[in-house]
Amino acid sequence: MKMAWKEMKKNKLRYTILGSIVFLISLLTFIISGLANGLSQDNASLIKNLPDGTFYMEEEADETYSFSSLSEEQQQEITEAQPEAAFFSIQMRNFIDTSDKQRSVAYVAATNSSYYPQVNSGEVILDASLEEEGIAVGDEITNEQWDQPLTVAEFVNHEKFSHSAAAFINPDDFQALFHTDTMQIAFVADSVAQNSNEATAFEELQAFSNSEFLNTIPSYSAEQLSLNMIVIFLLVISGMLFAIFFYMINVQKLGIYGILKAIGVKTGKLFQMMWAQMFIISVISLILSALISQAFQLLAPGGMPFHLTWQATGRLSLVFIIIGFIGATLSGIQIKRVEPMQAIQQGEI
Amino acid sequence: MSLFTMKNVRKTFAHGEVKEEILKGIDVTLPEGKITALTGASGSGKSTLLTIAAGLQTASDGQISFEQQELTSMRSEELRQIRAKQFGFIFQFAHLVPFLTVEEQLALMLETAESSLSKQEQKKEIRQVLELVDMWKRKNAYPPSLSGGEKQRVAVARAIIHSPKVLFADEPTASLDSKRSQEVMRLIQRLSKERHITVLMVTHDMDMLDYVDHVIEMRDGKIIQEDSIH
Repeated sequence: MKMAWKEMKKNKLRYTILGSIVFLISLLTFIISGLANGLSQDNASLIKNLPDGTFYMEEEADETYSFSSLSEEQQQEITEAQPEAAFFSIQMRNFIDTSDKQRSVAYVAATNSSYYPQVNSGEVILDASLEEEGIAVGDEITNEQWDQPLTVAEFVNHEKFSHSAAAFINPDDFQALFHTDTMQIAFVADSVAQNSNEATAFEELQAFSNSEFLNTIPSYSAEQLSLNMIVIFLLVISGMLFAIFFYMINVQKLGIYGILKAIGVKTGKLFQMMWAQMFIISVISLILSALISQAFQLLAPGGMPFHLTWQATGRLSLVFIIIGFIGATLSGIQIKRVEPMQAIQQGEI
Repeated sequence: MSLFTMKNVRKTFAHGEVKEEILKGIDVTLPEGKITALTGASGSGKSTLLTIAAGLQTASDGQISFEQQELTSMRSEELRQIRAKQFGFIFQFAHLVPFLTVEEQLALMLETAESSLSKQEQKKEIRQVLELVDMWKRKNAYPPSLSGGEKQRVAVARAIIHSPKVLFADEPTASLDSKRSQEVMRLIQRLSKERHITVLMVTHDMDMLDYVDHVIEMRDGKIIQEDSIH
């Protein structure tokens, strides 16, 4: 460790360049990961805020929640098997606010649910993002197809679906407004499920875990896959960067390695030196990237979907260090191969 | 029993299908605590013999014994331990580690040799050896700031700091002017006597033979003459 640090101090420019590149790549990875998480929240916080459990939709709906329709009998059957089951429906529609502006929202109605706010008839509870856009408690919202307006009762934080704000309404209002007497989805949380080891199976109903259900949301998996692929590419690039950079540094140091081997220094000690350098560079770069990405989260405009937790940053940092370790080790194979005689014959270092 | 002996050592290099025998059955016994010089024209095989003796490359055939241990049959890790603990090396160029100070070069050698000295004793020993080679005042200097003679004196100090039994020197004065060459040779001579170190040295400079006890002359991969001078 001491030798590794000594060398870095004597070759500040060389290691600062490597550190800067690692810093930039890790910062970019954290920012994109934050955007991926942000978009994921923006797309599905309504579902992601739910505890782990099982979702049920009609088998005939072909994994599309809007086509699902749970009849009274099916709801009854589910409730008998799982008394704590919650039922809810989602409809993407718009409304006209007091300034005659049209806004797209996801109307949500839930029965027997502690997961979503309970709403009185004639009222609506909106996601807080709409409050930032000028809608206030007491405002009335309307739709050309409705007979009666709904009054904004309150706002709730982080409840979005399909990149639209959620609008919670009373199940009776939902039935009246959207001309339906069924619910689309049933949800049983693992914590309250009977026989929680295995999800209860119901005839003609398809069961989904939370992550499976998220993937049924249109565009969710495509959007996440694209962003996660970028993050994976950046991680792979950083590993290759470590491998290439240490390869170049090692080629320049083959003479020193040869002489050190000639006087009896263990090959393992030379590897430890390289790993220590990789570790020091990575940790400094990652700490800087983590701090800047967290600062970005605080300063980013409110409308920007960005969500990066310290845990996610820690996980990504760990992956960076593991990939850096693999990259540096691959490039270090030359250290193992170098013969003392090569260095001696090479002349002065 | 001698400290270091070589019997019927051969070395053959293959260039494609052509084989070239560089050493043709060498027998050498190093006199303990004395300086032995290997001389001969360029291409006579003296440097190859020295590096094989030092365990830096393998012989094609023959036996090399150090303290009754057969070096030629040792695994590479065993050989590394012998090199680290029992041998010292001085090369034609100093080959110091550029990012370590003079003092740290010696500390690294003690660490490599797994010295049993305490940290305090190691510091004392480093000071003593650096004073011996007249480099204590330059203990915090890095190699790029040292002159050729200073670098070679540090290389000598590094080679003996761990009290090796055998010191291998491959043309240790070749990169120095005559004044500095004599200084380094006097130093090697003094250290060999004071610390009872057996030295095997390759040189083509006949002036350096004034400082050695035993001379082996080689030609075309064979020993043609062996003399004890003092």
